Amino acid sequence: MNNQATSKIDPTPTDWSGDVMQRRIKQRYAAERRFKALGLGAILLSASFLLFLLVVMVGNGFRGFTQTELPVEIDFPALTNGAQPAQFEGPDAESRIRSLGVQDIVNGSIEIQYGNDGTDLFSAGAWTSVQSAILKNPSVLIEKTTFYLPVESELDVAYKGSGNPEVEKKITELGDQLSTGFNGNFMGNSDATDPMQVGIWGALKGSLITMFITLALAFPIGVAAALYLEEYAPKNRYTDLIEVSINNLAAVPSIIFGLLGLAVFLNIFGLPRSAALVGGLTLALMTMPVIVISGRNAVKSVPPSIREAALGIGASPIQVVFHHVLPLALPGILTGTIIGMARALGETAPLLMIGMRAFIAKPPDGITDPSTVLPVQIFLWSDEVNRGFVEKTSAAIIVLLVFLLTMNAVAIYLRNRFETRW
Amino acid sequence: MDDMTSGDIQESGVSSAEGASQSISAGDGPPKMTTRNVNVFYGEKQAIDNVSIDVNMDNVTAFIGPSGCGKSTFLRCLNRMNDTIPIAKVTGDITLEGEDIYAPQMDVVQLRARVGMVFQKPNPFPKSIYDNIAYGPRIHGLASGKDELDHIVETSLQRAGLWNEVKDRLQDSGTALSGGQQQRLCIARAIAVDPEVILMDEPCSALDPIATAKIEELIHEIRGKYAIVIVTHNMQQAARVSQRTAFFHLGTLVEYGVTTDIFTNPTEERTRDYITGRYG
Amino acid sequence: MSSTALLVLVFGLGGVAWFFGRIKASGFVTGGTRGEVHSLPSYHGWYVALWAAIPAAVFLLVWNIVSPALITDAALTSPTAQQLPTDSFTRGSILAEARSIASGNQEKAFNPLSQAMVEPYRTAITYYQTLGMAAAILLVFACGAFAWLKVKPNLRARTKVERVTMIALLLASLIAIITTIGIFISLIFESARFFSMVSPIDFLFGTEWNPKAVAGPRGETGFGAIPLFWGTVFIGAIIAMLVAIPLGLMSAIYLTQYAPAQFRAWMKPILEVLAGIPTVVYGYFAALTVAPALRDLAVSIGISSASSESALAAGVVMGIMIIPFVSSMADDSIAAVPSAMRDGSLAMGATKSETIKKVLIPAALPGVVGGVLLAVSRAIGETMIVVMAAGLAANMTANPFSSVTTVTTQIVKLLTGDQEFDSPKTLAAFALGLVLFIVTLLLNLIALRVVKKYREAYE
Repeated sequence: MNNQATSKIDPTPTDWSGDVMQRRIKQRYAAERRFKALGLGAILLSASFLLFLLVVMVGNGFRGFTQTELPVEIDFPALTNGAQPAQFEGPDAESRIRSLGVQDIVNGSIEIQYGNDGTDLFSAGAWTSVQSAILKNPSVLIEKTTFYLPVESELDVAYKGSGNPEVEKKITELGDQLSTGFNGNFMGNSDATDPMQVGIWGALKGSLITMFITLALAFPIGVAAALYLEEYAPKNRYTDLIEVSINNLAAVPSIIFGLLGLAVFLNIFGLPRSAALVGGLTLALMTMPVIVISGRNAVKSVPPSIREAALGIGASPIQVVFHHVLPLALPGILTGTIIGMARALGETAPLLMIGMRAFIAKPPDGITDPSTVLPVQIFLWSDEVNRGFVEKTSAAIIVLLVFLLTMNAVAIYLRNRFETRW
Repeated sequence: MDDMTSGDIQESGVSSAEGASQSISAGDGPPKMTTRNVNVFYGEKQAIDNVSIDVNMDNVTAFIGPSGCGKSTFLRCLNRMNDTIPIAKVTGDITLEGEDIYAPQMDVVQLRARVGMVFQKPNPFPKSIYDNIAYGPRIHGLASGKDELDHIVETSLQRAGLWNEVKDRLQDSGTALSGGQQQRLCIARAIAVDPEVILMDEPCSALDPIATAKIEELIHEIRGKYAIVIVTHNMQQAARVSQRTAFFHLGTLVEYGVTTDIFTNPTEERTRDYITGRYG
Repeated sequence: MSSTALLVLVFGLGGVAWFFGRIKASGFVTGGTRGEVHSLPSYHGWYVALWAAIPAAVFLLVWNIVSPALITDAALTSPTAQQLPTDSFTRGSILAEARSIASGNQEKAFNPLSQAMVEPYRTAITYYQTLGMAAAILLVFACGAFAWLKVKPNLRARTKVERVTMIALLLASLIAIITTIGIFISLIFESARFFSMVSPIDFLFGTEWNPKAVAGPRGETGFGAIPLFWGTVFIGAIIAMLVAIPLGLMSAIYLTQYAPAQFRAWMKPILEVLAGIPTVVYGYFAALTVAPALRDLAVSIGISSASSESALAAGVVMGIMIIPFVSSMADDSIAAVPSAMRDGSLAMGATKSETIKKVLIPAALPGVVGGVLLAVSRAIGETMIVVMAAGLAANMTANPFSSVTTVTTQIVKLLTGDQEFDSPKTLAAFALGLVLFIVTLLLNLIALRVVKKYREAYE
């Protein structure tokens, strides 16, 4: 101890109540408040981005679920030569209705009411809703019936609030006849060239099939890999290699998986382009690491005492894991799986690589049929020039977000409901 | 720091219910800090029950007691470090130089500069040795220039008995020092803001005997310049470094008095049992 | 019968085998004393089921890979095959068409020769399919019966079943390595073909990107990728990070250090939602709302060159997308700083913000930097936002209001549409993919190492 040095120090006590010090402290507290406000501002700004995005999407997309309609009165008894409803029941009713020539009947009726150019006011596929109405309820054929049919796209956009002067004039002419109705086609139809006729069902079905394949492949493989790595893998270089690959795969850009799918599944294995099968395979490779990582965390959080207890009564290592560890880790694994699946559901880029960007006007019936998925459909529609697609794109986004938010909500619920603190 | 709890101020100068055997006086001279009827709650649980103690400049005051007896909790009331625990609630009357430290107008930042603290585990910042010491003077604006700051760093390290060991490597990381040096660095860091009281929370519990001896020697050196309160679970240490000892048990203050009296002739049965190793 | 259906049948039969194995083994328990039987009846069931299903399933897998070649060979021995042209390209396309008609994927042929080849093909397909089916079913029964005969009280069925389970688990974990290797090999292989046509030097250091102007085989120009690299860095590593780092970091600081519990309980999920929105939605948002707004803004302050597909729009929206990522990484890093650090600083009379700025952040810096590196790696690999909002013009400009293009945009651009697979344009996409893969891999490795080192420092 250096006594000489210590004695040199003259302890002049700090004057805490002096002006200089008080001013300094005031400044420090002001800095504190500024910093805190900055943090609050940052988080509120981030949240408001989300709010703004949702408002824009919902605001636009809500209109996608509605359509502008004009009434058309169709005198069925006169135009169908007295076709009877009974003719159009039974198994092959559809082909018999086709022979009726509904399109001509509808167009004829339109021309009677709206003049020779009247059909231009309507969506080209307007007659199909009449046809499906007959199919649903053939008894409409026995009398004059008024249908509300969708107008053509430009008129629709204009009536919903943003058209050019020429179309605005038409709207004034039509006046009260125009009305807004629910767009029943949107959830039931598939892609089309006319924005009034497009629907999301084809893409939704494609997404569901693709997700099913992804889940069926990624979940068992991911869980098995997680169990192996966490419970059985010896600590050696090969295990390290597996771990490094999994961690890296989880961070590889998704488009790279698309390139892999293109090079391997399409070009080497010769699987069909645009098929849900290839999409599912590609997304499964992408989702698997996510499931492995969350699965490992869930397995890791099961306390060793449970393993020891099971081993102590003579269970084999496999029995320990499948009877005790896996059931306890399952909620955590499921949470991770749902989050991984939600990510896969929203994924677009790798699917573009494997050709899932074709124009698919028919919902896929199987895993090898050409199909599209929701996010790709959104991408395709966003590229359309026709302004009628803007609201359809947003409407499709709403459908996608509803699915994703539901999945996330389920995941959060699972996490909170089953989260066990050991 | 306006969101911090301010304790209920109670009009009281009376000693605790523990009885007349217990003195609260710190000895000669005016007390630096006084505490009256202090209670601490963690949520529903009461951690400190009605404790009153005085601390003065001349003495090193040791808090002893079995683990979980509340001695560290009580220590953390003295510079309001309990404020960082949201569920902690302190009631009673604690003063520094006659000012109530839980009063709304009391500035926590100033208070903690005046009542420094050294923790159980050495916690140097992951910065250079120089910056570790200079941190406090910088944030409080105690130095007007580089020279003055250098001077503060040097004197603080000298007081902590660390200067000769580190003067050639002030730019090395503070975390690269040995455990005992780290703890002396933390003491130097506390000294650098020129405090009036230094609280030490089991400062040697993570150190080896040689490093412990150095810290104890250091406490002797700086005694009288600062009021020192040390929490320890080591009774020999309390006997070696302190002049006053307070024995805590289950959140209450059992006995407080001159260290030699406590160790040779305790008035309370429980103190005797503890000191003779009957429990602990 | 399709191969999928056949596979289902094989597994169905495996299920039947399970019952047989189990029934036989149940007899032991009632017959002998419990001590003599090594395994529970269900393990015997599994033992038989695995024997019945796995060899047949493996056979089917191999058969599916081998049989197309066999079928083609068989079809070519037919007399009609003599008329086929010898030119390998037309020959191949005729055969492919005939095959597609024969297996029912196509209805009518364009080439009359294909139509003629359909019949031989159909015969061959039927022949080999029947053969494969018969062999698979035979395998199921033979192996199943073999295993069933081996079911005896002292058979260590559980041990054997567990060994198979263990192998299955190991194989599952190997998929990750196989995928990594698959990515690497397919990228390298296709890039090698590209670099045999375009010099790697021209590709990596050339400053002109214009694949459309490419002349033809050899003598290719316009594959200089520097403008793409610049665009990628400009959008992903500069503009996006200028948005994401301050907002993400400050959000994390506020949430962990200041926010009341109730506020945190609401804000954290909101940030998570921000992270869960698909990139195509962000892309649409950027193209529909942000880009026009930014262009109007630029024009109003006198930048007339502002493009509606600006680097700024793509970068800002990408930054918004990355905020939750940066925030959660920063959150983890700050939480990993021991509370003794914080207490040490507070006990000296530092205010909260002084403690955060001078102690917590410097201490958490390696973790934060690692997180930022991961965020950059994610941003430069992000595709949809740039495809939809950044444009295709390969400009080398630092003007955020002009249009730039990125690596991922060009990969999408080059690979969509009907290009033949061997053209340098298509292969260039793989070369770009290789660069992207290597860069993100390096960033991830460095980031993970930094984060790991940092975690160890405090453990």
